[in-house]
Amino acid sequence: MQTLKDKVALVTGSSRGIGKAIARKFAMEGSDIIVNYRKAGGSSQTQAEELCKEIEKMGCRTRMVQADIALKNSVKNLFNEIRENFGRLDYLILNAAKAPFKPIEKLFERELRQLVETNYLGNIFCIQEALPLLEKTRGAIVFISSLGSRFYNPAYPLGSMKAAMESVVRDCAESLRVKQISVNAVCGGIVKTDSFKVLRQFWDGIEALPEELFVEPDEIADAVFFLCSSAGRGINGQTIVVDRGLSNSIYRSTV
Amino acid sequence: MSHNLITEEKVFQELKKAIVETLRADENSIRPGTSLINDIGAESLDFLDINYRLEQAFGIKMARHFVLEHIEEMFGEGAAIDENGLLTEKAIELLKIRFGDNMPDLKPGMDMDEVPALVTAQSIVQGVMDILDSLPEKCPACGNSAWKSDDGGKVKCGSCGENAVYTNGDDLIKEWLTKVQEEKNIF
Repeated sequence: MQTLKDKVALVTGSSRGIGKAIARKFAMEGSDIIVNYRKAGGSSQTQAEELCKEIEKMGCRTRMVQADIALKNSVKNLFNEIRENFGRLDYLILNAAKAPFKPIEKLFERELRQLVETNYLGNIFCIQEALPLLEKTRGAIVFISSLGSRFYNPAYPLGSMKAAMESVVRDCAESLRVKQISVNAVCGGIVKTDSFKVLRQFWDGIEALPEELFVEPDEIADAVFFLCSSAGRGINGQTIVVDRGLSNSIYRSTV
Repeated sequence: MSHNLITEEKVFQELKKAIVETLRADENSIRPGTSLINDIGAESLDFLDINYRLEQAFGIKMARHFVLEHIEEMFGEGAAIDENGLLTEKAIELLKIRFGDNMPDLKPGMDMDEVPALVTAQSIVQGVMDILDSLPEKCPACGNSAWKSDDGGKVKCGSCGENAVYTNGDDLIKEWLTKVQEEKNIF
């Protein structure tokens, strides 16, 4: 049985990686999907087109919308498209992220501003625009975080923005409770997506970690789905860690 | 004198393979002058993937940061890119010295976001060749001059079997910048 039939989900940054896995999962469960990507004319657009075709084959409505969430006007356009083409929104999945890989103290001013604009302001813009729609559907917001929010990761300034957003999740969960909008986060461990290709350039030997510690994008998508389904109705303001236990234990076998 | 054993042709072949695998591009459409962004639709994440594949093929470390970033790290923020995100004249002067004919479209005042589109297959091949050219004459492990390559990609010491160690791409750019600055005093 499809549990999200007739629902509408926006997944920001869904042409690749975790976002794509979430879009697929939600479509499998019957939800219509807005596929968002940032850069026009490149490989993201090609992948977004392919994803939309796949979703249509599953029998769901879909639309790909180019929008840079760091730009308020771009976010407004994105939501205009949603209002005009779908007329509703049930799930806002804040997945888009973009950051330089450098130690924080080495970031130039423009890099710092971009870091905050995309990974903090951009998400807030989306929440603000989505609220009138989510109020009507008593919808859900899920932010995609990572373990970088609470643990050191080499050359990963994005972690500080993930931490800020986990705080926003706690905050908004309370303030939006009266509107019956739930706000949660899923915090991924080491996920083998395109971003992993960046990480492995700064983390020598990361590939030598035991295979069982690498999270699949599907596993993140399943947790997001759980939070949006009726099974997750009792959860609000939480960050659920999906890391195959990576952060749970200081013990590592050396044999 | 360079002790590099790997040919430019081999590097170009590996680059084509990496582009095909990363972007599912048609191999025959990739020429030395092909812009990865304008002609094949590559994005920043794709570049990292392509670099990674080249690193695996040749046992090297490609530069993590572009020349412009190194300029600003060495000579201060604003040295290469002004507050409006436009390239300074000094940055253009330096990029012209480095890339010359490989990037004919360089002009002062261009937007920094336009620069990645100037990266061509040939400029990546050159970056790899620069790294491969840093192979020392003698193996640092055993002191013998007996480099060999069985597959035309990875180089090993024929005497002790250790893998070749090259200077990494970022260090090469820094060395080059220091040298150019000493000679021309641009910044």
